[in-house]
Amino acid sequence: MPCMPETLIATPTTNSLPLKSGDFATLSDALNYAGGGETGCNFYSGRGKLSHVLSYSDLREQAQRLAKRLNSLKLPRGSRAALVADTTPDFLRFFFACQYAGLIPVPLPISIHLGGHQAYVSQLRRLLENCQASIAMAPDGFEPFLEEAASGLGMSLLGGPEVFASLEEAQEPLSPLASHELAYIQYTSGSTRWPRGVEVTQSAVMANLSGIIRNGLQVRSGDRCVSWLPFYHDMGLVGFVLGPMASQLSVDYLSTRDFAMRPRQWLALMTKSKATISFSPSFGYELCVRRLGEGSPEQFDLSHWRIAGAGAETIRADSLLRFASTLQASGFKKEAFLACYGMAECSLAISFAPLNQGLDVDLVDGDWLANEKQAVPVPLPTSDEDTIRCSSFVNCGVALPGYEIEIRDTNGFAVGERHSGTIFVRGASTMSGYFNAPAMTQEVLSSDGWLNTGDIGYWINNSLVIIGRSKDLIIIKGRNILPQDLEFMAEQQPEVRPGDSSAFSVSHPDGDELAVMVIQCRESNSEKREHLVNRLRSLVYSELSIPCHIELIPPRTLPRTSSGKLSRSRAKADFLKRVQWEALATLPNALR
Amino acid sequence: MATNPEILSQLFDILKPFTKEGQRLREETKLVAELGLDSLQVMQVLLKIEDHFDISIPLNNLPTIQTVQELVHEIETLVKV
Repeated sequence: MPCMPETLIATPTTNSLPLKSGDFATLSDALNYAGGGETGCNFYSGRGKLSHVLSYSDLREQAQRLAKRLNSLKLPRGSRAALVADTTPDFLRFFFACQYAGLIPVPLPISIHLGGHQAYVSQLRRLLENCQASIAMAPDGFEPFLEEAASGLGMSLLGGPEVFASLEEAQEPLSPLASHELAYIQYTSGSTRWPRGVEVTQSAVMANLSGIIRNGLQVRSGDRCVSWLPFYHDMGLVGFVLGPMASQLSVDYLSTRDFAMRPRQWLALMTKSKATISFSPSFGYELCVRRLGEGSPEQFDLSHWRIAGAGAETIRADSLLRFASTLQASGFKKEAFLACYGMAECSLAISFAPLNQGLDVDLVDGDWLANEKQAVPVPLPTSDEDTIRCSSFVNCGVALPGYEIEIRDTNGFAVGERHSGTIFVRGASTMSGYFNAPAMTQEVLSSDGWLNTGDIGYWINNSLVIIGRSKDLIIIKGRNILPQDLEFMAEQQPEVRPGDSSAFSVSHPDGDELAVMVIQCRESNSEKREHLVNRLRSLVYSELSIPCHIELIPPRTLPRTSSGKLSRSRAKADFLKRVQWEALATLPNALR
Repeated sequence: MATNPEILSQLFDILKPFTKEGQRLREETKLVAELGLDSLQVMQVLLKIEDHFDISIPLNNLPTIQTVQELVHEIETLVKV
C-alpha cells in the first residue's frame, strides 16, 4: 500500500448506501454493491495500530484487476485457487478476484505451531492434493512452506502476491461465478489426516448470509464488526468476511495470533471502534478473563457491543457469565450474548437464540440424560448434599427461515420434547457434498437432502439445545480434534496394531479438557514401554500441539460394542474409574 | 553459531514459570515436546519475549523453532535488526 501508516484512517461506520441485507445472487454481486459506499475492512497490529485499510470500493477495483491477471493463465473455469489464509488484505483481494475470474477459492490454514514445520507442510500438501489446486498463493514469509508442499504437484503457478501481480491483465471481459456455481471450498476443522472440503455454492452461501444478516443478527445501519477469527474457519470467513461485506458494514480485524498473544487487544479494539458485533468460541471469552491481569475493566468501553456471539464449540455458559461479570464495569451487558449453532456443511449458521436476551441455560439431571436420553430439568443445587449430577446446556434457539431440523433416535425416528438424539438438518444452505469425496458425502448427506450433523441435542418448545458437537469429537482449547487422528498416530508405531488404541478427552478436575489415549500393548519391557509413550507424546505434540495423556493397558482389555467395534465412550468410562487425578496432576505437564 | 549467553539467561527467566518442579532448562530443551507448552502457552511465552526484547517474531518463523537454542538465535537476529 502506498499510504504512509500515519495517514491511515479506518473506514467509517456510517455509509451513504442504503443497507441491503445480503439479498444478492452471488458474492460478486454483493461486492459490486458494497463497493459503491464508503465502508470496508481495517487491519490492526497486535499492538493496536491500524496497519491496512481496504474499503469495499478499493477491494472491488483491486479484485477485478487481479481477476484479469488470473485470467491470463487461461485456467479452465472452476479451477481451484488455494489461498493460505492469513488475516491480510491480500487474502481478501485473491478471494474476490477468484469470484470475478470464475475460479474457486480454497482457504488453507496458517500454522502457528512451534516446531511444526514438517507437520504443516504435510497438511498443506494433503489439502492441495485434495482440492486439486491449479494455483496457490501464500502471504509473505509463507511461500517456502507452500513451495515445499506443492513440490511435484505440477501446479500452474504458486507463490506470494507479487508473483501474481506481475501477470499481464487479460483483455476478455470478466465472467464472475454464477449463482449455481461454487463460491468456495471450506475445509472442516475436524481431521488433519483426512481432509473434508465442503462445497459451498453461491446460492447456498447467499441464502445463509441473508438469514444471518436479516434474522439472526438483524443488522441495522450503525452496526460495526470486530473479528480475530481465522479467515480459514467458517465463522471467520462467512461470519466476519462475507457477512459484513454482504451487509456493507465496516469491520476491524485483529489476527488470530495477535489475539491469542494479547487477548485484551480484542476489547481495546471494540472500545476504539465502538463496534456492535463480535463473535468468539467460549475459550476466547475465557482467555480474556484469565489474561485481563492488572488491567481494570474500566479502561474499556464495551457499552456499544450489542451482539456478543458464541458458537463454534459447545457453549460453556459459566465461562461467558464470568466474562460478563468481570467486564460489567466496562459497560458490557450480559444480554448481548447470542448463542448460535451451525457448521461449515451449512455454510455457517443453522439456528440463533433470540436477540437481547442473553444466554438461556437449561439445567438437567446429567445421569438421567446419559442413561435414559431424557433431559429432565432440575433446580439449581443449593447444597453440597444434593446428589443429583447437574448438567447445564445452552439453548441455541430456532432454525433460520427455510431450515428444517429433526432430532432422531438411534432407529432414525424423530423424538419429542426433551429427548436427546442426533441432530439432522435440511435447508437452502446445506452443502452439495464434500469435494471429491462421494463416500464421505454419502455417510452424512441423504438423497433427500438431510444432513446428519453428528451432534447431539434435544428440543425445548421449538428451540434447539446442543449437548455436544459430536459424541466422539475431542475439543481442546477451541480446537476440534478427531480421535481417529490420534489413534492413527498410535497405529503408525511398530508396537501398536490397528484397533489397539482408543482416544477421547476427559475433563480434568481443574476444569481443562485433557486428551487421553489408551493403548493395548504387548510389550512387557518397562524401558521399551516408556519409550513408546514418550515417542507418541512427542508425535502428538508436534502434529497437534496438545498434551496427551497416554496409558498402556494389557491386550484385549479395550471395551467393544456388541458388533465388535471399539467403544470410545466405554473406554473413557473405564479410564475415569481407574484414574487418580492427584497422580495425574503432579506429573509434569509433558508427561500428562 | 554460538548461543548468546545474555539472551539465553533472560530466556531461561522467561521460561522458568512454564517448567515443572525439578525440570532443568538446557539449551537443547525442546519447547513443545519437553516443556509441554500448549498453543496458548506458546503465545504467552512469545508475548513475554516480544515485550521483553521489544521485537516482533514473524509468524512464519515459528514452525522451524524447536529448541531453546533456536529461539535464542531467532531473538538475537531480531534484536540486531
